[in-house]
Amino acid sequence: MNYKFTEILETIRMTEIEHFDIRTVTLGISLRDCHDRSIEVTKQKIYDKIVRYGREHVKNAKEVEAQYGISIANKRVSVTPISIPFDAFKMEDFIEIAKTLDKAAEEIGIDYIAGFSALVQKGMTNGERELIKAIPYALSQTKRVCSSVNIGSTKAGINMDAVNMMAESIKLTAELTKDKDSIGCAKLVVFANAVEDNPFVAGAFHGVTEPEIVLNVGISGPGVVLEAIKEAGNVDLQQLAEVIKKTIFKITRAGELIGRKVAEKNGVPFGIVDISLAPTPAEGDSIADILKAMGVEDVGAPGTTAALAMLNDSVKKAGLMASSSVGGMSGAFIPVSEDMGMIRAVQAGNLSLEKLEAMTAVCSVGLDMIAIPGDTATSTIAGIIADEAAIGIINDKTTAVRIIPAYGKKVGDMVDYGGLLGLAPIMEVRTISSKGFVGRGGRIPAPMRSLTN
Amino acid sequence: MNFTENDIRRITFETISELGPGATPDVVKEAVRKKVETSSIAPFEASKKDAVSGRVILTSFGLNKPGIVAAITTALGKANCDIQDLSQKIMGDFFTMIMIIDITSSQKDLKEIQEEMYKTAEPLNIKIYLQHEDVFRYMHRI
Repeated sequence: MNYKFTEILETIRMTEIEHFDIRTVTLGISLRDCHDRSIEVTKQKIYDKIVRYGREHVKNAKEVEAQYGISIANKRVSVTPISIPFDAFKMEDFIEIAKTLDKAAEEIGIDYIAGFSALVQKGMTNGERELIKAIPYALSQTKRVCSSVNIGSTKAGINMDAVNMMAESIKLTAELTKDKDSIGCAKLVVFANAVEDNPFVAGAFHGVTEPEIVLNVGISGPGVVLEAIKEAGNVDLQQLAEVIKKTIFKITRAGELIGRKVAEKNGVPFGIVDISLAPTPAEGDSIADILKAMGVEDVGAPGTTAALAMLNDSVKKAGLMASSSVGGMSGAFIPVSEDMGMIRAVQAGNLSLEKLEAMTAVCSVGLDMIAIPGDTATSTIAGIIADEAAIGIINDKTTAVRIIPAYGKKVGDMVDYGGLLGLAPIMEVRTISSKGFVGRGGRIPAPMRSLTN
Repeated sequence: MNFTENDIRRITFETISELGPGATPDVVKEAVRKKVETSSIAPFEASKKDAVSGRVILTSFGLNKPGIVAAITTALGKANCDIQDLSQKIMGDFFTMIMIIDITSSQKDLKEIQEEMYKTAEPLNIKIYLQHEDVFRYMHRI
């Protein structure tokens, strides 16, 4: 037989028991040709284009799923940052566009559509300002639309005016969606060094340097890595890195195969495979459990950051060997609400916001799906965003903040969104003020790229 | 070999030029159909079938009992699937069997065969998975 018994059983075990799945196949659609002077015509053009390209997306993905026996958890769409082609519109128009995106997403049967976005790391156009003002209303009046704003980059520095605006946006979104535990904030990401080909919603958008249409795939297998580490037993760290790399190599290869097949079926070019380890609230599908299996007693113990750094680096190394189309975020995600191990660590008092922030310096995204008290000051949220962006621009990596100031909730309460978004304990935030600093406004200049000590 | 749309178009144009002025739509249609039917290759409809074909890996496992292999192979035989390789082990009470099957000449596509096998698995209380060979090739071979 061409394949060994153990190889075949290993694949079956990964897909059937250890939650290995393709987290998302995301169709990136350019909307740059959809602008018109009339908002009604614009809306029609947007709707028609998304439906035209996306109509078969879910069906095609399901067929590939059955063919290879690997489940594809999410089928999604990302679009050109809305502020770019539609810069001439006003806030009310942007809300209308968000509703159009929502309707198109519903029509093609997907749960999220991302790209209600603006890139304002250096400065803002009038249209971008209008879009940012529209975000809270857009997110509270739609179900499927996700929004992201890039407020900093290594080349431009941090736009503190935009940071302050986003902090206000987050607070208002939380208030407008207070009936549903401020769920609007779970669909809003503030980035530094955002990537243009990220397939993972909510932060996905179809960058301006991307082609007309492209299919990107995000893979996910924390459960597979966890089992491999457990099986390896008491080995030294080099051997452990080897175990992680071997596992990631295999799932990246499978991810690329699936991505290419879905792209082929859709008749669109294949873009990238994002090799991020993304957890889900399912038991065993947890980054926290991996860190614990690596040897720390719980997430938050000294040594956690080092363990995460090694995990993240091993993921990248193996992914790059396995595929020539690696892109997106490609690292470990550490969202709190989507990871049972993280939730438990927060509830046990072992994991603080400060430790999470330190961990984001060595992993793929940032402060993700973190619920904080609803009465947290806007300037404090701006301070959290600025800190996270600083980690990103100084280390030349993507960082993001997806934070939920849950309206009316206090430390110790929980918010529960169900499904993939999971549930989050409200975390404690320091109440000493950031106001004097973030309130200065302006821009933190771009960092230097030498003497990096 | 299956007909593609291009083949049909080529045959149609040839027929029209052969028939010359007598080429009314009905006559051409009839002549083209005859040519397709007589040319000993599969009819056009076959190529409309999902292109999923080739080698598939069937994995089955569950508590051992008599008749499992018989049930699986009977179902595969009915679907005209060619068993190319087979490996089977008993581990304790557990039965495990892996087959490489070629479904190219089957009248059914992969999805239909999968459904067929799930039906076979249910009364035997075993699990059967069918996955395209590519996924194993990609994961375990560089």
